Amino acid sequence: MTRINGYVVFYLVLFYFSIFHLIFPPIVYADDDYSFDLEAFEKKPLEWGGYLELKWEHMNLNRDGAFYLLNSYEEPRETLNRLGTTLQFDGRFQKEKISANWVLQASAWQDEVDSDETTDVFEAFVSYKPTPPATLNIGKKTYKWGKGYAWNPVGVIERPKDPNNPEEALEGFTGAEIDMVKSFSGSLQTVALTTVFIPVTEKVNDDLGKDTGNNFAAKLYLLYKDTDIDLIWFEGNSRPTKYGIDFAKNLATNFEIHGELVYIPEQEKKVLSSDGSIETRKIVDTSYLLGLRYLTESDLTTIIEFYHNDAGYTEAEVDRFFQFFDDAYDVFNTTGSDALLKKAQNLNKGGYDRPQAWRNYLYLKTTQKDPFNLLYTTAGLTAIINIEDKSYSISPEITYTGFTNWECRLRFTYLDGSSLTEYGEKQNESKSELRVRFFF
Amino acid sequence: MKSVSDGNTDWEPNEMMSKQIVTGYRVLAVSFYFVFPLFFAMPAIAMDGNAILMQVDKNLQPESYEMYRKLINIEPDGDKKEFVLYSVKKGQEKMVALFLSPASEKGRSTLRLGENMWLYIPSVGKPIRITSLQSVVGGVFNNSDILRLDYSTEYHVKSIQENENHYLLELKAKTAFIAYDRLKMLVDKERMVPTTIECYTASNMLIKTLYYKQSKDFGNGIIRPSVLETDSPLYKGYKSVMIYAKINRKELADEIFSLNYLPKVAELR
Repeated sequence: MTRINGYVVFYLVLFYFSIFHLIFPPIVYADDDYSFDLEAFEKKPLEWGGYLELKWEHMNLNRDGAFYLLNSYEEPRETLNRLGTTLQFDGRFQKEKISANWVLQASAWQDEVDSDETTDVFEAFVSYKPTPPATLNIGKKTYKWGKGYAWNPVGVIERPKDPNNPEEALEGFTGAEIDMVKSFSGSLQTVALTTVFIPVTEKVNDDLGKDTGNNFAAKLYLLYKDTDIDLIWFEGNSRPTKYGIDFAKNLATNFEIHGELVYIPEQEKKVLSSDGSIETRKIVDTSYLLGLRYLTESDLTTIIEFYHNDAGYTEAEVDRFFQFFDDAYDVFNTTGSDALLKKAQNLNKGGYDRPQAWRNYLYLKTTQKDPFNLLYTTAGLTAIINIEDKSYSISPEITYTGFTNWECRLRFTYLDGSSLTEYGEKQNESKSELRVRFFF
Repeated sequence: MKSVSDGNTDWEPNEMMSKQIVTGYRVLAVSFYFVFPLFFAMPAIAMDGNAILMQVDKNLQPESYEMYRKLINIEPDGDKKEFVLYSVKKGQEKMVALFLSPASEKGRSTLRLGENMWLYIPSVGKPIRITSLQSVVGGVFNNSDILRLDYSTEYHVKSIQENENHYLLELKAKTAFIAYDRLKMLVDKERMVPTTIECYTASNMLIKTLYYKQSKDFGNGIIRPSVLETDSPLYKGYKSVMIYAKINRKELADEIFSLNYLPKVAELR
């Protein structure tokens, strides 16, 4: 076990920032020096890029929180400092109508308790475009369907995204895709059909669903009367059949609305029954999201989304889980036996620890561009509220992108809620995070 | 109110008024004999203005083309941030722009179809709707400046005045979805390209001023300003510049201007 002094890390990062200006001094040009060397931007067959990230996190742990104690009941701590780094490498090699595309990511982190490192192929696919309207893709590719910013109930073939970092890259699935698009003049401006085949075997795409077999998904996109409309369908052996629809529209030059709805006739849901056993129920799942984006004259952007997760846990189901955990923890404290806690852990991993595993949420994100005339600075505030139990997380942050190809983000997250609520029982009470990225 | 200036010719509002071609006083003064033809004369004036505007559009950019631009945001202390974009446009309402530089923005692309705009960020993996008043690059240029369609597509000429060297066109947005409600465009009579454009809100607030500079021969008969500068009373001391390096006529399929094609725009080059 390696211990890191959090303060040492903090001051190292501060030092890193302090020498930033020395290493990368702002370049001052003479007025009207508008040179443009186009040769530097000539197209090359091989193009690549990516970023290198360094992240420091300081967490004040919720020593009374069920979700924290479930994982750390043997040695609960007050705080945790974590240092992590990520390298993402993406690129494309193109020869005429065929291109090879990839997104690779390697990351490692270490804190006072544990460490880990991973290497993932997020995307690796070959693309063939015989004509602009048609594309054939074969390989591993990420699909992000839906119009929601924080959540996508219609994302039928994607991994769940983190609402605190919804713009991060996600790992895809291996399969084949045919994409066709046709443009028209008139009210119906565009029609596009995307069809995807994803097989699941014991070695390929085994995390798409529990059963092996073939899976098909399709998305029909329409741009009709200046409104984006998607009709989505999923059928296969590994996940239940899903039907989805979404839309997005600009109502004004500064105002956009969007929505999503998915209908799943037979959705499986694991719950803790009253006798303490784990029960798998089949429910009809109709989940939906409604959202808007609004920009004020002072460049304040606000995103608000309401998400109803029909497969989420009810208040009674959540109370039962927390009660089960309390009993298991009492047994552990009095007898030293963690058998019941292990069972609670399994149940937690089976569904209760999913992000936004409850039923109704409100998401609010406001960002102010260039506050106090500080160019390339963005101040933001993100709040995720569990409407039913009134618990929430709130994250003020500030991002600076003034140095070319560098991005620095400082974020603080505070979680609050009474006992037996989602954010009141989470692992952290608060978290400070400093993230620096260098793009190349 | 700020005057529109091209350096030599100041256009004061009072002078503009005195040069008004048709005024209410004249209408009252003419006899019934002159009223009837006047009904035909007024549309003719409007047509002239719109014809000038269409000629301006034609001189600024071909109907279907590709081009390279550099955007520079300049801070009051002289610090600069640069972006390089590859853009293609077809017809009157289809345009795509792809970021080539800096590395932090590389691969981002934006699409405009009439009044609809989308931004595609590779890591996000899907196009998201954006609005014309937002800015994907920061600085003074907003999305409608970067994905600008023909002026005649978005505006009609409300009035026209002229002096020896310039026309002054007052333009009114055709719909409420246009970023600027009104424009005052000063047009060089000889080259028939704009020199200065003032952009106003519906409440008559000046949002920004655009300055077209440095005429350049881009080949294939395209002679137009190669630099577009802008400043804004909302961003005091800041300036943004757009430099045009290459404009080529290019035949493009309609399907290139679709959400599904946005992740593949780089392959057009």
